[in-house]
Amino acid sequence: MELLINLTINGLATGMLIFLLASGLTLIFGLMSVLNFAHGGLFAWGAYSGVWFYSLTGSFFLGILGAILTGAILGFITEKLIITPVYGNHVQQILITLGFMLVLTEMLKVVWGPNQIAAKVPPYLAGSYEFGDVLIIKYRLFIIFVGFLIFGIFQYMLQKTKIGLVVRAGVMNKEMVQALGINIKRVFLYVFMTGAALAALGGVLFAPYSGVIYAEMGFEFAILAFIVVVIGGMGSFSGSLSAAILVGLAGSYMAYYVPALSLAVNMMLMAIVLIFRPQGLFTAKG
Amino acid sequence: MKRKFQLNHYLLVVIVLALVIFPFVSDSRTWTILLTQIFIFSILAMSYDILLGYTGIVSFGHAMFFGMGAYTTAVMLKRIEPTMGMFILSIGVGMLLAGLISFFIGLLTLRLKSHFFAMLTLAVSGLFLVLAEKWRTLTQGNDGFTFKAPEFFKDRVMFYLVALACLVLVYLFLRRFVNSPFGRVLVAVRENEQRTRSLGFNPLHYKVIASVVAGVIASLAGSLYAVSLRFVNTSVLTMDITLDALLMTIIGGVGTLIGPIVGAGVIELAQHYLSGLAKEYPIFERWIIFFGIVYILAVVFFPRGIVGTVREQIWKRKTKKDGSKPVPKKEVL
Repeated sequence: MELLINLTINGLATGMLIFLLASGLTLIFGLMSVLNFAHGGLFAWGAYSGVWFYSLTGSFFLGILGAILTGAILGFITEKLIITPVYGNHVQQILITLGFMLVLTEMLKVVWGPNQIAAKVPPYLAGSYEFGDVLIIKYRLFIIFVGFLIFGIFQYMLQKTKIGLVVRAGVMNKEMVQALGINIKRVFLYVFMTGAALAALGGVLFAPYSGVIYAEMGFEFAILAFIVVVIGGMGSFSGSLSAAILVGLAGSYMAYYVPALSLAVNMMLMAIVLIFRPQGLFTAKG
Repeated sequence: MKRKFQLNHYLLVVIVLALVIFPFVSDSRTWTILLTQIFIFSILAMSYDILLGYTGIVSFGHAMFFGMGAYTTAVMLKRIEPTMGMFILSIGVGMLLAGLISFFIGLLTLRLKSHFFAMLTLAVSGLFLVLAEKWRTLTQGNDGFTFKAPEFFKDRVMFYLVALACLVLVYLFLRRFVNSPFGRVLVAVRENEQRTRSLGFNPLHYKVIASVVAGVIASLAGSLYAVSLRFVNTSVLTMDITLDALLMTIIGGVGTLIGPIVGAGVIELAQHYLSGLAKEYPIFERWIIFFGIVYILAVVFFPRGIVGTVREQIWKRKTKKDGSKPVPKKEVL
C-alpha cells in the first residue's frame, strides 16, 4: 500500500512538472500552430536561473520568481527574434526553434559551466510527513500543490476573464478573432511569454526534486511534453493536465514494475494516439 | 545551359581525381582522417537532403538509421569475424534493416502533418537510443565497445579511398534518383502536396519510398562511420547526429546534392579548427553555439544555403547577360 501511494505521488509530481511545460506548448500551438521545439530549453533555463537566484538570495521563493521572470524575458526574445521572422512557415519554424534550442542549451553551459549543478530542497520543504507507516515526501506534495494551483488559476483565467475568452476564441478560429478587431499577434506574444514562464517554473521546481540539474534535461523533458501535447490534444489546456498526469503515472509505475519499458510505454502511447486519433484524446470542445 | 552543366561535370571529375591522388601526395594522417570523416558525413547529409530538400519532410530521427548501420557493422565484425566479406555483408544487413524499419515507420507516420511527423520521429529515435542503452549484452550501452576492422582497412588510405568511392557512388545514384520521373514527383509533393494528389499521384507512396531511400543510405554512412572509428557507442544514435546532418544540409544548401557535401566539409573543417582554438580561447569549447547562430541566420536569411545562394547569383548574372527572363525564385523551405 505504502509503495502504491508513493508511486502515485511520485507520478503525480512528475506529471505536474510535465504539465507546466506542456500547457504552454499546447496553448502556443493551439493559438498560432507553432510547435516550439525550444520549449525544453526554456525549462532548463528556468532551472538554472532559479537555482542561481536561490543560492544568491537564500530564498527559494525569490528563486522561483527569478526563474519565472527569466522565462518570460526569454519568451519575449524567442517570440520576437525566432518565431516572428518565420511566421506561417511550418518547416522553417520546426528548424529554427530546434536551432534555438541548441543555442539555449549551449548558452547554459557557457554561463554556468558544463558540469551538473546540485540543487537543494529548501529547509521548510525538506523531510517528509508520516501517516501511520506511509512516508510522504513534503517536496513532492508541494509540487503537486503548485501544479494544481497553476491549473486552477489558469483555468479560471481562461474560462472567466476576457483575456481567457480571447485566447480560447483564438485557439478555435484566429481569423475570426482578428476580424473582430483584436490584435491576435499581441495576444500570441503574451501567451508565448506566459508559456515560457510556466516552463521556467517547471524547471525551477524540478531542480530540488531531482537534486541535480544539467543542460540536457530540457531536451529530455521536452520529449515528454510533446508526448503529453499529442495525447492531450493540441490547444487543449485541461487535456494537457490529464495527459500529463497519465504520462507521469505511467512512467512512475513502469519505472518500478517494468523498468525497461518506462520510456517506451509513453512513446508507444503517443504513437498509438497519433495513428488512430491524431487530434488527441481530450480535444478542446468546439 | 548544356555546356555549363558539362563544365560542372568536368569540375567534379577533377575534384574527385584530386581527392584520389591526395593521400599519395600528402602523408598527413590528420587530413586523411578528416577527409574520410567529411566523406562519411556527406553521405549522411545527402540522404537527409532527400527528405528535407527534395520531399519537404522534416525528420528528427535520422540518427536511428545511421546508428542502425553503425551497430550492425560493429556487432557483426566483433561477433563473427573481422573480414572484408563480413564488412560488405554487414553493410547489406544494415541497409536491409534500415530499409524495413524506415518503411514501417514511414507507412505509419508520413500521413501526419509536418510537426507531428517531426515529433514522432524524434520519439521513435529516442526509443532506439533507450533500446541501445538497455540492451547491454549486445551494445554495452554508453561505454560502447571496440572491434577489429578488416585487415584491408589497416591502412587508413585504403579506407579513405573506399569512403570516397562510396561518396561518389551515392552521389551518382542519388542524382539519378532525384532527376528521374520519380524524383520529379517528390519535388512536386514538396511544392504542393494537394495538387500532386489531384494529378493522380499518391503522395504517401512517394514519401515512404523517399524515406526508405534516405534511411538505407544513412545506414551505409553509419557502417562506414563505425569502421572509421573502430568503436561504437550509443552516441551514434543521439540527436547530435541528426543535428549534424541538419546543419550540414541547411548550411550547404537544401534541395541540392552538392550542398550537403559542401556543408559537411564546412562543418567538419570548422569543427576541427574551432576545437583546436579551444585550447587558447575557452569560449570555442562551445563551438556549437556558433553553428546554432549561423544555422538560425541561415534559416531566416539564406534558406537556400551556400550552394543554393551561389547558384542563384550565377543564374542572375547569366540571365542579365542574356537579357532573357529571370528564373522564377523557388523557395525550398
